[in-house]
Formats: sequence, C-alpha cells, structure tokens
Amino acid sequence: MGIYLEAAGLVFQPYVLAVIFCSAAFGMFVGAIPGLAATMATALLVPVTFFMDPVPAIAAIVTATAMAIFAGDIPGTLLRMPGTPASAAYVQDSYEMTKAGHPEAALGASLVFSALGGIFGTLVLITASPVLAEVALKFSSFEYFWLVVLGLSCAVFVSPGSPARGLVSLLIGLFAATIGIDNPAGAPRYTFGNVELYAGIQFIPAMIGLFAVSEVIRAFLARNETPKVANTRNASIFRQQFKNLVTYPVQAIRGSVLGTAIGALPGAGADIAAWISYAVSKKFSKTPKKFGTGHVEGLVEAGASNNGAMSGAWIPALVFGIPGDSITAIVIGVLYVKGINPGPTVFINDPQLIYAVFIVFLLANIIMLPLGWLAIKGAGTILSIPSRILMPIILMFCIVGSFAINNSPTGIIIMLVFGIIGFLMEENDIPIAPAILGLVLGPMLEQNFVTSMIKSQGSFLAFFERPIAAGLGIFTLVIWSIPLVLLLVNRGKSASVTPS
Amino acid sequence: MRATDLTLGILVLLGGIAIYVSAMGFEVIPGQSYGAGTMPRAIAFATIGVGLFIAGKALMAGDRSLGFELRDWVRSGRALFRAGTALVLIVVYIVAAPFVGFTPAALFVLLAGMLVLGTRPLPAIAISIVATIAIQQSFGRLLLVPLPRSDLFSFLW
Repeated sequence: MGIYLEAAGLVFQPYVLAVIFCSAAFGMFVGAIPGLAATMATALLVPVTFFMDPVPAIAAIVTATAMAIFAGDIPGTLLRMPGTPASAAYVQDSYEMTKAGHPEAALGASLVFSALGGIFGTLVLITASPVLAEVALKFSSFEYFWLVVLGLSCAVFVSPGSPARGLVSLLIGLFAATIGIDNPAGAPRYTFGNVELYAGIQFIPAMIGLFAVSEVIRAFLARNETPKVANTRNASIFRQQFKNLVTYPVQAIRGSVLGTAIGALPGAGADIAAWISYAVSKKFSKTPKKFGTGHVEGLVEAGASNNGAMSGAWIPALVFGIPGDSITAIVIGVLYVKGINPGPTVFINDPQLIYAVFIVFLLANIIMLPLGWLAIKGAGTILSIPSRILMPIILMFCIVGSFAINNSPTGIIIMLVFGIIGFLMEENDIPIAPAILGLVLGPMLEQNFVTSMIKSQGSFLAFFERPIAAGLGIFTLVIWSIPLVLLLVNRGKSASVTPS
Repeated sequence: MRATDLTLGILVLLGGIAIYVSAMGFEVIPGQSYGAGTMPRAIAFATIGVGLFIAGKALMAGDRSLGFELRDWVRSGRALFRAGTALVLIVVYIVAAPFVGFTPAALFVLLAGMLVLGTRPLPAIAISIVATIAIQQSFGRLLLVPLPRSDLFSFLW
C-alpha cells in the first residue's frame, strides 16, 4: 500500500498534472488532424520530455498517445479519413452513421468504449502483466505467422461484398507491401531504381489516398450529391452510450479482453486487435448483415479493443523491455535516456515509478472523456461547411499530411497513386480496408513466413507442431473453409430444387 | 467504370502472372531456397487462384460479357473535368511547391478547387487565404513540418 501512496505522490503534483493536461490537449490536436497519428504525437513529444523528470515524461507520452488514438476516430467518422489502421477497421460503420445524420452517436461510442477498453487494459496491466508477458514471450515465428494470417483473414471476411473481392483487395495491399528493400534477402523489389522507394510504401499516405482522396475524387465528380450530414454541436454525445452499454455489454467486455491480450503480444498491437475484434463482433452478432452499413455494435467492440491493446502493449514493454508497438519502442528509448532500464529489475529497483505509470494510465483514460467531448464538439463544426469549400481543404490536408510523414513529396505521390487505385477499387465493389491491413501486416507476414520456412527446412507440417501455433492454424483454416462449405451446401440445395 | 466479373477475373489473373514473372529474378538468401522472391511468388499464386475463381464463377453463372459498364459520370464532360482537376491540382502542388513555396502553391490548389466546385470568387479567395495560413501555421510552425518556403511569404514563418 505504501508503494501506491508513494506513486500517487509522484503523480498528483501540480506540475505533473499540468503536463498531463497539456499533453492530452496536444495528443487530441495531433490525432484529430488527418494524416497525423499517435506515433507522430509521441515522436514530437520526445524532445520535450528530455527536459522532464521520468514520471512527467512518461505521463506526457502515455496521455498524448491515448488521446491521439481516440482522436484518430474523429476524421475517420466525420470525413472517412481514419487516423490509424486500427480506426480503419470500423471506419465504414462510423462514416455511414455520419452520413445517416448520427455522427455524435458514432463518436460517442468511440469515445466511451475507447475509455472503457483503456481502463480495462490498465487494470490488466496492473494485475496480470508478468503472467501475460511470459505467455507472449513463448510465441515464435510460427505463432506470429498464424496470428497475422488470422488478422488478414478477418479483414477479408468482415469486409462488405464477396470474400473473393475482399481477397483481391488484400492481395493489392500485400503486393504494395513487397515494394522496397525490407525483405529477407535485403534486395530492392519493384523500386525501379528510385531510392525513395527503397524504404517501401508508407502506409499513412497510402491510407489517406485509399480512403480520403478517393472520397475527394467522388465529391468532385458529383458535386451536388455529397450527403448533408448533421452537426454534432446540438446533439448529445453521451446520451446513447448508456443504452449501448446495456445492449452490448458482452461486446464491450470481449473487445477489452481480446484487445488487451493481443496488445500484449510483442509486435501485434492495436491494429490487429481492432480488426480481429470487429470480425469476432460480426461473427457472433445477431445482425451481421448490418455491419458496414452504420451499425454501432462493431464500433463498440473494436473501439474497446483498440485502446485495450494500447494498454496491453505496455505489458511486454515494461516487464521485459520488448516493445509491443512503435509507440512503446519510442518510450523504451526515452526510459533508457532517463537512466531506467525497462525489464523485470525495474519492478525491484523503481517500483514507485512503475505504479506511477499505472496511475497515469488510469488518469489518461478518465480525462479522455471530457477532453474527447470538447474535441468532438469542435470537430463537428467541420460538418456544417458546404462540401464545395470543405473538399478542397480536405485535399490540402491530405497533401500536407502525406508530406509530413517523411517530409518528402514521395508521400504525396504515393497518396495520389493510391487515391486513384482506391477510387477504381470502389467503382468495382472491391473493399478498401483489407488492402490497408495487407500493407501494414505484409512485412510481418513475410518475415515470419520466411523465418518459419527456413527453421522448418521447407516443411509446412512444422506450422502445426507447436500447440498454440496448431490451435491458431486450425482456427484460421476453419474460417477459410466455412465459405467453401457453405458454397457447396447452397449449390447442393439449388441442384436438388431445380426441376429436371 | 465497372469491370464485368469475367473481365475482373481475367485482369486479376493477368496481374498474378505479371507478379510471378517479375519475381523470378529476385535474389535468395545465400545458402537458402528462400529470399526476396518468396513472398511475391506466394502473392502471385494467390492472385492467380482468385482470378480463376472470379472468372470461373462468372462463366458458371452464364456471364460471358467482357468489358466495362460505363457509369453516368463517364458520359458527363463536366464531371470528368472536375475529377480531373482534383488530380491535376495534386500534381501541380508536387511540381510547383518546391519552387514557389508552400504558401502560393497551397493557395492556388485551394482557390482552384473551390472555384471548380462552384464557390463564388470572393468567398473562395477569402477562405483560401485563411485556410492556407491556418494550415501553414499549424503544420509549419506548431508541428515543425518543413513545408517548402518562399521568400515572398517569409514573414509567415
């Protein structure tokens, strides 16, 4: 108990609380700008944290990250420009809700269930972090391979339209991910001698292109057909969330649990968690056909999973010094600069510091509610602007956001190319979301596949030899075989009713 | 512009073959059978499979039409002009910004975009100026993104 009081003493100081508040506002601002994500908010804060003590430094990063991840949902919901690949999992539903005149319901669900998922993840972080981290550490390339395949399979089957077209989209994303020099042989692929392409296709410009630029092109094509949407300023953001909580308690809990568990796996992170949770939500839903049409159920589950995973990602980072995602990788660097070595010894040498971080997590998720409310109210102003003014401004944001990733015009070119691809894909009823996940997870898939093949000397049986890998593999194969079985059953039925 | 199912299947199939052929020359890891070509080849096989599936399903359903179904916007010269303008404006920014700087390039993109979409000139000019300065200040000064600078508007930085 004494250690908790000591930790609370470190956090509840005017200076630390002011840092938390300012970084929350900063995270909200950066996350709400299309093209800028939580990783960028963290990276921008690092130079500032050099001048702080360890607790306010970590508090600044934790708070800004939590806010930015939620705020990424704001442009996604209002403008169909998801701030993160995780937001892309449910952007179709949230944007459809906006088009139907209910942006406040979508953003409210996103805000409340993000906070709930984050708080749940923090409680797990406090109580069970050593146990979960030990399980995660037992994962080898075989388990990671199946985990990635499972995430990609979910993206194909949850996307609207036929799974075959979803698979086409996924393959486009996976192919784009092969561009560059980041491959097992270290050889340039599809770079055509362009040095800028050696680093590969950055997913933020690609995502802006696929989602936002394709939408801008459509708005330019049919300038009078842009749907009129409601303004959030006069609507209650929290009104429907109590009802959602009563209607979907299982989804909220399942999303939080799954998100935290997946987040705890090094390298997995919130992106896979949100996609798998959305797929699980659709699978067990009583109304799966409503998904993708502006249904809040998937948003509840994937939103909780998203922020649950953010907390979960800190488990391997703090307990074993292994980053769960790009943000915790930056934080580990900051901890080293502060003379703190993350790992089991930090619980022995600086326990008050770790518990102070836990308290900051809880504070960040609680403060998210009022600040998120303010951000949604402010962002709602966007919707009252006519599209003939709004669309060119969005186009300019897309350009600057894509440029800002690497401070290079290559980002804008990638955005333009993927914008045209995204437009053509949607014209042909090919969903966009699987392509994004393919692009993000492609390198991880390749690395674990090739590593596993080398380890097993080309034997595919090795992918099923370890118990967890076998479980994940069989589960994935079952998911893929269900549509084929259904196709055969339906064909059999239609053949039996056809008159001879 | 929507491809018929058979056309889409054939295009996907051809794409898969192209990926396979292009991956044939990629290097392997020394002493191993795997390397830079492993993943593209796996993608190629999957792409060929999906292409055959889509085309085969179309043929089995009796859909043998090849080509594209034209949407209404393809027949509208004005709609095509507006969509083309959006793409051209991005290209104009990419080409012009390094030479003239962010401020005039962004101002041109915003103003041209608004005028093409039917905003009246005076409001379009006013809003473009305000939006350009707001974006320049938030990205260029607050977030320290090194947007291309111009001597003419150096007072903004």
